[in-house]
This record gives sequence, structure tokens and C-alpha cells, in this order.
Amino acid sequence: MTLAKPRRWKVWSRSKDVTAPLLLFIAIVAAWETLVRSLAVPGYVLPPPSQIAIEIVRDRGIIFDQLLTTLFEIACGYALSVLVGFCLSILIVYSSAFRRGVLPLIVASQTIPVIAMAPILVIWFGYNSAPRIIITALVAFFPLTISFVTGLQAIGPEFIDFFRSLNASEIQIFFKLRLPAALPNIFGGLKVATTLAVIGATIGEWVGASAGLGYLMAQDTAQLNTARVFAALVVLGAFGMAFFAAVGLIERWSMPWVYGQPFFARMWQSRAA
Amino acid sequence: MSDARLLISNLKFAYTAESGRAIPAIDQVDIKLRPNDFVSLIGPSGCGKSTLFNIIAGLLVPDAGAVALDGVDILGRPGSVAYMMQRDLLLPWRTVLENVTLGPELAGRPLAKAKAAARNLLRRFGLEGFENAYPATLSGGMRQRAALLRTILCERPVILLDEPFGALDALTRAAMHEWLAGVQREFQRTMILITHDPDEAVFLSDRVYVATQRPMRIAGTVDIDLAPPRQRDVTMTPAFLDRKRTVLELLHSAPTR
Repeated sequence: MTLAKPRRWKVWSRSKDVTAPLLLFIAIVAAWETLVRSLAVPGYVLPPPSQIAIEIVRDRGIIFDQLLTTLFEIACGYALSVLVGFCLSILIVYSSAFRRGVLPLIVASQTIPVIAMAPILVIWFGYNSAPRIIITALVAFFPLTISFVTGLQAIGPEFIDFFRSLNASEIQIFFKLRLPAALPNIFGGLKVATTLAVIGATIGEWVGASAGLGYLMAQDTAQLNTARVFAALVVLGAFGMAFFAAVGLIERWSMPWVYGQPFFARMWQSRAA
Repeated sequence: MSDARLLISNLKFAYTAESGRAIPAIDQVDIKLRPNDFVSLIGPSGCGKSTLFNIIAGLLVPDAGAVALDGVDILGRPGSVAYMMQRDLLLPWRTVLENVTLGPELAGRPLAKAKAAARNLLRRFGLEGFENAYPATLSGGMRQRAALLRTILCERPVILLDEPFGALDALTRAAMHEWLAGVQREFQRTMILITHDPDEAVFLSDRVYVATQRPMRIAGTVDIDLAPPRQRDVTMTPAFLDRKRTVLELLHSAPTR
């Protein structure tokens, strides 16, 4: 019962948070609509927002079918990039030879345009989802690796000395010290990687695929069906925001010492008490 | 010599600079603690006191000399003594209860038993009602008491305290002194305290070792034969001031560079 008041405050302040960006968004959309109509811009150059909305509703079946393909690639590619990034970061943190020898190669790999790699990966792995998953991971793993490394090295040396003075093993130092201390950086990387994974999967489909939103956009661009290209972009953008928000939510729940106890933990505690 | 709990003899240590040159940090140190002794080590900043503690804690191995706990050599063997460092080093992602039971947890001792023991001591350490609080919500004094409780719950016969109250304001520090004296009597631990503060050293100790500038030697020892339990007003008595003067004279007699 005592929780009710601060809760209400929170909802009020949240709604205030949302108002400003929402108004800005509506203003931009309205300006876009007005300009396109008053200047009589052809639809294949820049469709008005209303036409994009109509397109999303009318072709929802096609768009969401293709979205599912893209989502599968994003999920697999993201998971792969997290796995690779995590393993690489451990090697970089614990092996100076690896750090000196392999880190420059990883940096160099990031200067290769993915758009040039994509067709080669299709030649190597065939006309299936594998090359697109790899491209997604290739785009997303680098910032993940760097943020994991930064995080795992974030803890002060005095904490490590303190753990050593307690005769802690290296494994205990990793799991009970380095890893929890790395969480803020790890989640920073995980959030950046969500948007990169969306871009990676789309590029992969654009270059060589027979399904997915990227493929749909490539087809529609060639046919000057610009409205549906924008429709696909809006759906993709909405998913990207949801993905980012979901990782942000997990971040809040994983670090109660920064963000406070999540609401379900408070409910559980008050029920237990 | 058999009555010594901790015996430090003929210790010598030099750091190796990046140029390969040896920089002597400890020239010659001998310290002896009997069980339940409270001993302070006072000296100028940067005289090598923390280096000495790192050696006793097993984190550094000296070039010469020995450190024995109850007659057993503990050189390079971490975990033999409990070490409370300058900063409280509470883990921000753990609650007070999870922080103070870190020692038993890392040693693989039963956690439920350690938590029960910790809960019983929270009141004595002024942390009652804060067992589920995160360290960021505690005051400086509470953080230091939590760090000391964690050190005590490591269940080691000897406790090293490296300037534990250096960051606290004068009032909090004075309160912590009286409280620490009580805790030491109650828990029967042998303690060595590093400090810059002559009042702190004389008030808390059975014996004060005065260290020289780096490389560290022991300039002299002062026995503090003031009867326990000492209250705050003992610091105004002639006997107290006399011991403090001896400590200060030893500090100032040490050659400075």
C-alpha cells in the first residue's frame, strides 16, 4: 500500500518522458506529409507517411512473412556475435600474446566493407541463411568484443589484490569479480550490437537472398516500389527499437544495485515477508 | 620465541624498476606479535608500510627474511591472515550480507552457517537493518564497519589493518577507535594497524612500532602500558601524552630526505 504513491509518481514522470519525443515525431511526420503533398513529389521518389502506412496495412502478410526470415537471421547472428565476442574478449584479457597478435587482425577485419564480403560468403556457404547469419555476426561482434574487454578490465587492481589475499582462484576472480564489474560495459556493447545486427541481416539479404526484408527492399527498389521499401524500413525500425528496449530491460533487471530492485522482485519480497 | 603468534624477522624487499634497477623498499624489519596483541606501525607516507602488509598477506615475496604464523612459514601463501585494505573494497553488486560473507564463500565453507554468524554480528557492527542494502547506500563509517566485519568473518587469527579510518572525518574516526578497541577485546584477534595518526596508534595499541623513511627500518618501539578498557578521555591524561611524545620524537628523529 505504501508503494502506491511512488509508483504513481513514476508513471506520471514516465508519461512526461514520452510526451516530448512523441510530439517531435508527430511534427516530423506532419511536416513530411505536408511537404510531399504541397511540392507534389512523385511517390517513387519519396512517398508520404500516409501512403507508407497504407502499404504496411495492405501488404502486412508479405511484410511479416519476410520479417520472420530476417528475425531468425538477426537472432542467430546476434547470438553468434555474443558468443564469439565473449570468447575473444577472454582470450584478449588473459593472453598478452593473443592481444598483441590477433587484436590487430580483428581491427583490420573491421575495415573490410561487409558489402564486399557478402557475395564471397554466399559463394562459400551457399544460397541459404548461413552467410547472412555470418554477416550479421561479423557486423555486430566487434563493438561487443571491445566492450567486453573494457568491462573485464574495469575492476581496480586493488580488488584483485584483495581477492588474492583471500586466496581466491582465478576462476573465482573471474566470476565473482571481473564479470559482475563488467556488466555495465557488457550491456553497453549488447545494446549497440542490437542495431548493428539488424543492419547486418538486412545487408546480407540485400546482397544475396531469396527471402527476408532486405531481399524485399532490394526487389522493390529495383521496381521503384518506394512506398513498400519505406514500409519495410518502418517495420524493421520498430523491431530494432523493441530489440534495443528489451536488452535495456534485461540490463535494468541484471543490475539492481544500479537501478533498484525490479518490480517483480519487490512483489516477491513483500509476499515472502 | 614460541609464544609468538606472528613473527616477522630480518625482512628485506626491493622493487625492480622498469630500468631494471632495484629500488629498496624495506631495509630491515623485525616485528613480533603475541596472541591478542594490538600493534601499530606508524611512519611517514610512502615508507613501505603497505609493501610490508602485502608481504605478510602473501601477495609479495621478500628478498630475504621470514614471516611465521604460529611457527609456520607463510611467505607467499595468501589466505593465512585477514587483510583489510585502505579502501573498504566492498563489492557494489553485493548486499551487505553477501559482502561480509565473502571470505567463507571463497574458502568454500558452508554459506548458510556464515550468513547466520554474520546476521548475529550485524547489530554489534552497527549494520542492523542494512543486511540487504547495497554498499552505495551506506555512510563512510558503515562501509568501514562492514569491511571490518567481512575481515573478522574470514576467521583468521591475525588481522592486518591498513589505514582503515584514513578517509573518515575526525568525529567518526574517534568513535570508530573506541568501537574497534571493544571489537578487538571481544573477538580476541591479533591485529596490526598501519597509521599516520599518533593519537590513533597510542590509543589503540599495546605497542607502537615507529618506521623510518623508505627504505623502511624500525626506528624504535614504544610500549603503551595504559590499562584497558581505554575511554576517549584517556587521550588527555599525562601518561597518554607522554607515550605520544615518545612516538613523535622517534618519528622526527628518523632521518628525512
